[in-house]
Amino acid sequence: MDKEPQPLQLRKQLKQGQDMAAIEVTHLNKTFKTHKKEAGLKGSFKGFFHRETLYKKAVKSVSFSLEEGELVGFLGPNGAGKTTLLKMLSGILYPTSGKAQVLGFTPWERNPGYQRQFSIVMGQKNQLWWDLPPSESFLLNRDIYGVNHKTFRHTLDEMIELLDLKELLDIPVRQLSLGQRMKCELVASLLHQPRVLFLDEPTIGLDVISQEKIRSFIKTYNQEKKTTVLLTSHYMQDVEQLCKRVLVINHGGIVYDGSLSSLSNRYIDHKVIKIRFAETQSATAPPNIKGIVEWDKHHAVLKIQKKEVAQVTHKLLGDFRIEDLSVEKVEVEEVIRRIFEESPKAELNTQGEDKPHKWIKKPGETP
Amino acid sequence: MQNTLWRYFALYRSFFSHNLKNEMIYRANFAINIGLDVFFTMVNVIFFAILYGNIETVGGWTFHQTLIIVGSVGIIRELAYLTFRKGFLELGEYVRTGRFDVMLTAPMNTAAHLAFRHVSLTESLGEGLMGLVLVGYGFAHLDAATWISIPFYCLMLINSLVIYYGFCLMVSSLVFWLIKSQELNTMIYYFMNTARYPRDIYHGLGKTFFTFLIPSSLIATTPAAILTGRIDATLIALSVSVAFVFLTLGLFTWTKSLNHYSSASS
Repeated sequence: MDKEPQPLQLRKQLKQGQDMAAIEVTHLNKTFKTHKKEAGLKGSFKGFFHRETLYKKAVKSVSFSLEEGELVGFLGPNGAGKTTLLKMLSGILYPTSGKAQVLGFTPWERNPGYQRQFSIVMGQKNQLWWDLPPSESFLLNRDIYGVNHKTFRHTLDEMIELLDLKELLDIPVRQLSLGQRMKCELVASLLHQPRVLFLDEPTIGLDVISQEKIRSFIKTYNQEKKTTVLLTSHYMQDVEQLCKRVLVINHGGIVYDGSLSSLSNRYIDHKVIKIRFAETQSATAPPNIKGIVEWDKHHAVLKIQKKEVAQVTHKLLGDFRIEDLSVEKVEVEEVIRRIFEESPKAELNTQGEDKPHKWIKKPGETP
Repeated sequence: MQNTLWRYFALYRSFFSHNLKNEMIYRANFAINIGLDVFFTMVNVIFFAILYGNIETVGGWTFHQTLIIVGSVGIIRELAYLTFRKGFLELGEYVRTGRFDVMLTAPMNTAAHLAFRHVSLTESLGEGLMGLVLVGYGFAHLDAATWISIPFYCLMLINSLVIYYGFCLMVSSLVFWLIKSQELNTMIYYFMNTARYPRDIYHGLGKTFFTFLIPSSLIATTPAAILTGRIDATLIALSVSVAFVFLTLGLFTWTKSLNHYSSASS
């Protein structure tokens, strides 16, 4: 049986160490093991007697820390290691090596004192009872987390208000839409007022309006409750609207940690200039203009190094009669795409000794 | 310690009422379950009735005494469904789909969470009620029935439940390696099916096998022996020790397997 914790006392202890980070991860590694299987029946037969073990480094020497109350976004393509990392921080997975402290606890020790203070919501899994109305699942979570009835009522009312759930409470979960279900999932995991919240793809598969609602709820919740939120998503908008700080992860390693705005400054060295000409031009571009992406009789698009933007604009305005000229920033989405494409050779990636993101034969040393 | 016990009592109550509400939704399923249970118990009884039409005793057990054994299996099955059985039936699915993750993050013992999540009153209710009827019927037809044996009978039922639980824990732990649980569940089902024969029909190696490796011969025979007035201190001691060993080993393999899941799943 688990040890009975005293949440109140724990909270007090933690309050004393307020300058302590809410989440502190140092050199965390996770290597998965699998067996190679050749295709076909013959392969299966061979594999039955002799198997080759393959290793995949899902998370490679990841380090970062979060202050209490921060809302941080985790960006990365599928299979980058985001979910694996969240699972380790929730105590579902043991790491292969490395350390992590969340609210002063080591997650994979699964201390009930920690479990009462965090929550993980996975967009693709549901924890609500399928045939019962969500209100029943809420009641059960109240009992599992040992939430005081009065506090429970209060918290629930508050969230019903925020998410506009009143009519959904008594409808069986199986009859709810995906968006409605996601709202209820969020409520179910926030009833015990966690201090740390992990959200794994909370808006996946939702329509634009539902996404928007979930997003604004997360934002409000984080601001009001000062809950530390770590959010993964591959929808850029989630991150753009919610997070000041982002961690970009690719091939198991963190390739960027900082603000979204400086992300584009750092990775994009050019700007895009769009021109509409006042008079018809020749169909082929004059040879003395560089960086042309598109050129026709009426429009042109140029990709110009940042430091040359002023000079090029000046030249363009002098050479042509121009009706409209705009200098545009590259979309964040484009920035991320570039990082993902080039990150194996990116300077921040220090673990390039094996073919990243592939199953390999040897476990390999971790730094 | 006492606090923990109370907490788990309250949790059981909460899970139980949720499961009951869930079962009430499928009323037809509920009726069919009970019908099937009664039918199959009757098939069993008919089998023994035919057998005993030809011979007087099996391993020293008369027809009415055997009914107590058969009935006891039904009662234990229902008790198991009321406490842990169905969770193990669902375990394979939980592990395969990753829904098992929730059980590792909730502030509640994982084994208890799995057991309570699917406690079922109705799944085996027909068999349980039929079991009670059979045990009552058999008991009424005994020559040497004493009322004082009833509380001891109940205690040994609980002991058998512990053996059953330990066995389930050990077998189901394999789910974390195999991911598929169909075969394991079939195995546990046959384990309980062999429990309805009197232990005394086994000899030598067979007896050892069904006592220490697959302890099904103790499950129903030990409580039934008490009710039919064959109080045998060695048999009781044996059952209690087997229960202790199986529970300890079961919890040990379960914990080990959980760690395997934690390091292997993705």
